Amino acid sequence: MKGALWVCERDVRKFIRQPSIMLAAVVGPFITLVLLGFAFGGTITHMPIALVNNSQSPASYSFTDLLRNEQNCSYGGVNCANAFSVTNAPDLDSAQALVRSGVVKAAVYIPSNFGTPINDSVLPVITVYIDNTDPLSAAAISGLMAQAGSQASAQIQVNSQSSFPVTVDMTNMYRDVFYIEFMAPGSLIQSIMFASIIGGGISILFDKQRGIIEGYLVTPLKQYEIVVGVLLAGVIKATFSAFTILVLAIIFVGVRPVANITDYALIFITIFLTALGIISMMTAYAVRAPAPEVYQFTAFPINLILYFTSGAVYPIDGFPPWMRAIANINPQAYAIHALRLAMYKGATLSAVIGDFAYLSIFTGLMVLLATVAFRRAL
Amino acid sequence: MEEAIRTFDLTKNFKGFTAVDHLNLEVGSEIFGLLGPNGAGKTTIARMLTTVLPPSHGTARVAGADILHESEEVRKRIGVVAQAMTLDVELTAWENMNIYAKYYDVPSDTRRKRIEQLLDVVGLSERADFTVGSYSGGMKRRLEIVRSLIHEPRILFLDEPTTGLDPQARSAVLEYLKKIHKDENITLLITTHYWDEAEGLCDRIAIVDYGKVVALGSPTELKRQVSGGDVIEADFSALPDRVLESLRSSDFVLDVSRHESSLRILVKSGAEAVPRVVEVANSSGGKMQSLTLRQPTLDDVFLHFTGRSIREDTNIGKKRFVSSWEGMRR
Repeated sequence: MKGALWVCERDVRKFIRQPSIMLAAVVGPFITLVLLGFAFGGTITHMPIALVNNSQSPASYSFTDLLRNEQNCSYGGVNCANAFSVTNAPDLDSAQALVRSGVVKAAVYIPSNFGTPINDSVLPVITVYIDNTDPLSAAAISGLMAQAGSQASAQIQVNSQSSFPVTVDMTNMYRDVFYIEFMAPGSLIQSIMFASIIGGGISILFDKQRGIIEGYLVTPLKQYEIVVGVLLAGVIKATFSAFTILVLAIIFVGVRPVANITDYALIFITIFLTALGIISMMTAYAVRAPAPEVYQFTAFPINLILYFTSGAVYPIDGFPPWMRAIANINPQAYAIHALRLAMYKGATLSAVIGDFAYLSIFTGLMVLLATVAFRRAL
Repeated sequence: MEEAIRTFDLTKNFKGFTAVDHLNLEVGSEIFGLLGPNGAGKTTIARMLTTVLPPSHGTARVAGADILHESEEVRKRIGVVAQAMTLDVELTAWENMNIYAKYYDVPSDTRRKRIEQLLDVVGLSERADFTVGSYSGGMKRRLEIVRSLIHEPRILFLDEPTTGLDPQARSAVLEYLKKIHKDENITLLITTHYWDEAEGLCDRIAIVDYGKVVALGSPTELKRQVSGGDVIEADFSALPDRVLESLRSSDFVLDVSRHESSLRILVKSGAEAVPRVVEVANSSGGKMQSLTLRQPTLDDVFLHFTGRSIREDTNIGKKRFVSSWEGMRR
């Protein structure tokens, strides 16, 4: 049994000298705790909605004012402060267009005759068209709208001494999208990230250590050919991984994207741009990292940060401000936004053009960075 | 003699020291060896000649092209076998060769024939479709050598080509190199710190130390420069400093060097010297265990020119070793 002690002693001694493994075991879970805890723990606020108020009557204001409440707001025990950020839309068509292009999460339609009760008994119905491809936001919107409806009814009763209940009707704009479908785009992007960390960065580190990269230098291959070749191979590997995840998700977990050629083209462009950007980013990091171990131990925490702040598992509207700030610059957030539009909403190019613009800028910068970093390492 | 390589004051300075110092060297169509301990500057010379490392001063013509201004031409005309294994172990021998041929723009119709022929030269035809991961060290080295010949280079550079190989694989590799030199009519430039390897393989050898050529010639010529003498190696169980002093002052001794408890004594005539060495050693208080008389080797030549043995120099070599990534071109 004494032998076990010596084996143990050796391991503990090695650990004291090189605590990086244990550090990695601590850093990863802690980042997960913080990010996941704050992501899922937060009340979803500032949800963008489009409002069409054709009534402009006191009764309609008693409803819309509730949507704009900024503080000390609670309906029926549900905290509703800053729940929405309201945009006025001229008509229902343009409001629904905003939902379709992913700018707002719901369109609230108040008909022009809302102030006048029908048959002296009920007020005309307010209709809320909800983007249900984001099931968590959709559920929050439904709850808050129903509460706002009853609150408004009570207020109208006080103001006009008559009881005309406000009816809010929720309409889903799309087929039912399950949470797992909501999550799927994030997994596609994560497979790009993994392919880039392992297939891109680590394989370059190995090649560098083994002298393969120096071996390239004694061949007539030009420097830019080496960089382009390495990045292109990375993009092929990452794109292949992402599409494999997509196929697996369709077959095994019931993800049902809109089967439309345009949308598949948009999915492909999103994945290609993201793959090129992320592979370039990780390549630049791998060749410039102070040591291979540093790259290996930091790449996965970086992955966690990008994944959980991207809105992959929970709507960004539910994040605390510091996480929302990261989400605003996180390319994965834009990629996932574009993928959700293309996969579940039958979006057109104009809907995702903003995401594409951001991804193009990010990818362009990263390719430049990778080229410079690679040339200096060569 | 057809000129393959010619250097003009080729110099490389690293932070704090000069790795290669105004080197002027001519290499013809031959097997040429750069012999020296680790850190002597031979790998730095090879890296400059293969255009990986820019010289600090001077230049060189390699295969008819200038390493500074026509580096791309140089790279097309040379083959390089690095010291580290750079094969892709996940791929087959054939795939390794084929991809390399593509790097050099070898047209597809000649590619197939050339690969078959080269694999045959080193006896790997039957293993062509096996992944390289299944190869022994010697097989890998042989494959790397023929891979670098795929584009019919005029000069082949080999950096320590037998490092890490067992004796059998080593002699096989050396035999293949001789054969390739003859069959392909190609200049081989080999860096090595194995003197027996250089002696058995090279037509001419440059002994390099501290970035300079300290001796140049065929192995026979170089050995003749050690005054045509013999070498006595003696091991001692007790070796007081007095033994060295007495031997140094003896007229029959040309040179003495000590390595731990053994002496290497260069003498004019072995047969006459042996009894006198024993006598001097005993009278100075030394206790001799064994004594060997032999012909001088290149290691003795190295010792003669540098005052150090190649083998005992590894520590100095380590201190002078420069990161392989430092100051590289492109």
